[in-house]
Parts: sequence; C-alpha cells; structure tokens
Amino acid sequence: MAKKELRRRAKELAKEYGYLQYMIERYLSLWGEEETLRFIEACEQPIRTALRVNTLKASAGVVIHRLQEKGVSLEEVPWLSDGFYADFDGYSPGAFLEHMLGYYYIQGIPSMTTVNVLDPQPGDSVLDLAAAPGGKTTHIAQMMQNSGLVVAVEQDRLRMTSLQSNIIRCGATNTMVLRGDARKLDHLPFRPDRILLDAPCSGEGLIPLDPTRKTSKTMADIRFCATREDEMLEAAVNILADGGTMVYSTCSIAPEENEYVVDDILKRHPEIEIVPIETEFGSPGYPNPYGVNLNSSLKLARRFLPHLHGTEGFFICKMKKREVDSE
Amino acid sequence: MRLELVDPVDWGSVSEQIDIEFGSGVTKSLLGNRVPVTRERGSAKIFYLIPTNWMSDITEVSEILDIQFIGKELGSLDKGKFRLSLHILAELAELTESFIVVSRQGAEAFTYGRSILRESVLELKESLGRGQRVLVLNEDQECLGIAALSIDAKKLTRLAADRLVAKNLVDIGWFIRRLG
Repeated sequence: MAKKELRRRAKELAKEYGYLQYMIERYLSLWGEEETLRFIEACEQPIRTALRVNTLKASAGVVIHRLQEKGVSLEEVPWLSDGFYADFDGYSPGAFLEHMLGYYYIQGIPSMTTVNVLDPQPGDSVLDLAAAPGGKTTHIAQMMQNSGLVVAVEQDRLRMTSLQSNIIRCGATNTMVLRGDARKLDHLPFRPDRILLDAPCSGEGLIPLDPTRKTSKTMADIRFCATREDEMLEAAVNILADGGTMVYSTCSIAPEENEYVVDDILKRHPEIEIVPIETEFGSPGYPNPYGVNLNSSLKLARRFLPHLHGTEGFFICKMKKREVDSE
Repeated sequence: MRLELVDPVDWGSVSEQIDIEFGSGVTKSLLGNRVPVTRERGSAKIFYLIPTNWMSDITEVSEILDIQFIGKELGSLDKGKFRLSLHILAELAELTESFIVVSRQGAEAFTYGRSILRESVLELKESLGRGQRVLVLNEDQECLGIAALSIDAKKLTRLAADRLVAKNLVDIGWFIRRLG
C-alpha cells in the first residue's frame, strides 16, 4: 500500500473504530489491511477470564472440584499445567472463599505463560522486576515450591500494597520485596539465576480490556516507554548471572517496545542470545517489523495477539547470558 | 527502614503473647529453622521469619535498598500488643487448639468482617476464656482469621442464638476489602 493511500485508509478506519490515526497506520504497515481489520474486530470482543490454581495452598483437583460445585466452568489451557479458562457465571471471581484463601489467582493467559517460559526451578535465585501486583511473583514462588529466593522489585508505593497482599494471600514464603528503581540495581549483592522483566509499557495489547487505550497514548508515549524498557533491560542484563536466563515481556503489541528493544540489547551485549521457547503457543516475533531488518533470532520470541489467539496482546522473549569461560 | 535482627526483649514479648494464647512452644514451632528479623513501620515493628542462609545477603541488601517484606510475616508489635499476620495463620492452625469452628453461614459472615454469634458456633473448647484470641475455622478446617472471645467458652450453651461469642479481629476478606 502506498504511503498516501495507507494514511487515507488509516484515517477512515481510525474514525470508524475510534482509534488515533497513528496506531492504525502502524497496524496497516505491520500487517496489511485484512489482518488489521481482524485485529480491530477482535479488540471489540471480550477476553476470556482465566485463573491459575495456586498449588502452594491447594491441589488442582480440590480447587477444580470446589469451583465446579459453585457453578464455575473451567477449561484447561493446553500448555499451562495450572492454568484454566474460567467462566464465573457473572459472579465476581475475587469474591469466592477459595480466592480469599489463596487457592487461585485471576491472571491472564499471557502472564501465566511468561512465568512458564522463565521456568524457575526449586532452589534458584530469581529476580522479578516491576513485580506488582504480584501475579508473576507468586507464580514463580509456586513453581519453586517456596524454596530458593524470589526478589521482587517495585517502585510504586501504592502498587506495593497489592504486591504484599497477594504474596500473603498466596502463601509465598520465599520472597523478598524491595522498593526501588529496577534500573538501579548495580549494587545487588548477588547475581540471579533467572530474571523476569515484565516491563511497564504503553499497554497497547490491552485494547480488548481497556478501550480507552485506543486514544490514550501518543507515539511520544510509546517512545518514552521504549526508552525506559531499554534502560530496565540493560540493568537486568548487567546483573544476570553468567549462564543465567532472562525473560523480557510486555503487554504491548508495539514492535518499538519489543523487538526493537531486544535488538538494541543484542547489539550492545554479544554475551546475550535469544533462545527458543520450548512451549508451543502464540506466534513468532517479528524480525522485520515495518520492513526494518532486525536480528533474525527475534523470530524465536513469541507474541500473543487478540485476533490470532483470543488473548490480550503480549510479547515474550527468552534470552540467555553465555558463560564467560565458554567463549 | 532497615531490616534488623530482633531485639531479644521484643522477641520475648512476642513469644510470650503467642504461647499464652495459642499454646506453649507454638512460637518455637512457627520459627522452625528460620531467624526472626524486624523492620519498623510507623510506630509498629513488623516481624518476619527468614531462612538462616539469607542473612548475609539481607545485611548487604538492607544497606542499599528498602526491604519492604521478606520471608514469612509473623505479625506486628505496637504499643506492647502483638498482632498475628494472615500470612502465618494456616501454619498456626496446625499447631494450636485455640480455635473456634463456625458454620457455613457464620464463615461467610465472618469473611465480610462480621463477628461470630452463638448460632454459628460448631465447636469451641471449654477451657478457653473471655478475651482469649482464637483462630476461626470453617467446617473444612480452613482458617478464616482471628477473633477474640467475648465470653468464657464454658458459658456458651447458656447463650441465646443471637448473642455475640467472638469479635472479629482480622479475616481473609481483608484481601478484597484492602484492594477494593
């Protein structure tokens, strides 16, 4: 599509569906018109509620039985051992006794998948950056069976409340919560085996959950987020143990906040490589977004997209830091 | 606020209060092979139990970063009164006989912040006295929070159905009410 034609069509679609024009222009450049329309239509549909059974507090069998007795319909997510699509039949998922007891956590499928990709092991030391409200922190603790150490870092004082509350509710006892800037962790006295950076982002993947996102962020906001994401990822790379694993994720579909950020890190840090994600889900990352050639290994990253996977938009990239003595 | 090893005097007070109300040796069992540490929050001191092998890292981290929470939160000491954390209650329920078992309706009301009436009480040990703090369990023996007895347990059978038996001190509905 010629640039002039693309702008004209973007203007039409933006007006029709209530988006800012620059967003549609980017979607048309990225996907073409047919896929852009499917994306826009999918963003008008609700996202299925999902939950993670918290095996620190109760077995999956007990939780499933109790929720089904209360009329909750559950359906397994094929690639997540404790993840379920859940239909609460109009009731608030947070008001159930089992929720208060910490037997489950209401969590998006992509968020659960991110921790699954990180694959924390019992006894590991794991750093969870920008950790609030604690869904991923408590999931990490669960996969580590409350052993080892999970260091959760959060800067926002108000969000700290929800983080601590969820740690208590879910019975995680291997966590340390630090309040501070995730970009300034040079002095941390240990090097984590694994780092999860689910970076604060523009939230461009959350349009199905929050329609105001169609008009609430400008291109300048995306650039601001991308700069902050780059700084956070840089800090994470620097403190990751040699041979360690890192997962970078965002709830944005913008290549500017995802592939571009990882590509910059790969250029600056030859010791970092993208590694394949063993679990089968989503679709590949974009090594050539908008026709720009980025590192070809970015196809190993995975994306969730509303029109392809029925979830909010999400980006997940798994990386490894090479052992110093292996070079 | 910095995280510190506990003051032995404070720890003595905490242990005494827990053991008096929930049974001799209960604090020691809760502690297990962990170490108690504390940090100040306002006028209160918050107590956490952490694995011994975390101590060296903690000392360094707390010099440079603000540790807000760590390990198992045992509770808080404010003006000499110790309040248990919800974090420790499930574990405590395995160790103590200071509990009250309530009916399904009573359990639901309790998680909405209500106190316990005679009609909801299914089980209460006769030896427990007025003012005593007890864990509140539902029929599945799941811990819902803490209440303070308003009566001597041996007088329970003499009460009318709508009379107060135990006052709600903290319950797991707090998770929802706190976060809105």
